[in-house]
Amino acid sequence: MAGGGGGDGEPEFQVAPMIDVLLTILIFFMTITSAQVLKVDKTIKLPRAPDAQKKDNQRAEAVINVRWHAETKKGEFVFNDKTYTKAEDLVPLLKNAKATGEKKIVQGANPVFRAVIRGDRDVPAVYVSQAMDSCGNAGISDISFSAVNKE
Amino acid sequence: MKRLEVNTNDGNVGFQIAPMIDVVFVIMLFFMVMAGAVKVEKELNSQLPGTAETSNATDFVDEQIINIADDGAITLNDEPFDSPTSHDLPQLKATLMRLKQNADAAKAPAIVTIISEPSAKYSRTVDVLDALAVAKIDNVTFTVSEEE
Repeated sequence: MAGGGGGDGEPEFQVAPMIDVLLTILIFFMTITSAQVLKVDKTIKLPRAPDAQKKDNQRAEAVINVRWHAETKKGEFVFNDKTYTKAEDLVPLLKNAKATGEKKIVQGANPVFRAVIRGDRDVPAVYVSQAMDSCGNAGISDISFSAVNKE
Repeated sequence: MKRLEVNTNDGNVGFQIAPMIDVVFVIMLFFMVMAGAVKVEKELNSQLPGTAETSNATDFVDEQIINIADDGAITLNDEPFDSPTSHDLPQLKATLMRLKQNADAAKAPAIVTIISEPSAKYSRTVDVLDALAVAKIDNVTFTVSEEE
């Protein structure tokens, strides 16, 4: 009735390979949960777009956050951790960002410098339009809107 | 003194695997549950008009205009679609998919312009952009109507 293996004793439960497998699964889940936590403005509640495409993190980009203060009914723009109330103030900064960003584009990545607008879901569309105007004035025509896949 | 003798029975405190597996299991369960709730950032792409360089003369094509009113009501070429509170916009999605099919059959680009009221919520624009992404329409421009 010897099932396999040979040897004389009963098959033993091997702890070491089990720990290997467990740690591998653990690392897998740790990486997929923590990959997206970086550099997201907590004050902005992104709109929901389940059918949008996954964000391409390889591209050279400038990120404009558009915040909305519901109490004062005012929106503001955040670029490189600085706050601006007027979108026009962003134009020279975006021009700079474009000039430096285009030098950094690595081979294989999409070579067009783009702007990512991360607007709060409650912000009036006019603020987003102003941010787009600034991008246009700075010579950036490729614009992406950020959203999340679920609530 | 007696207690010391009990503790140093062997002089060898071995590495305990069982509690370690317990802890690893708990951490793994935590991350597995969190993985289901993770939010992934997505993107909706758009091109600003006017900066595209073309070598050939471009044909004029039909442009579809989607209006977004203050209350979130959506009209495509002045025809209302879906309720102002619907985020999924099933009617608009179906119509846009048909438009895209027709445009593909005619080998013409499907061009859509979104015109939003200045005070309409940005999330509504993203709802429409999402519907356009479902219909695989890439030529999208977004603008805000002049109020004054």
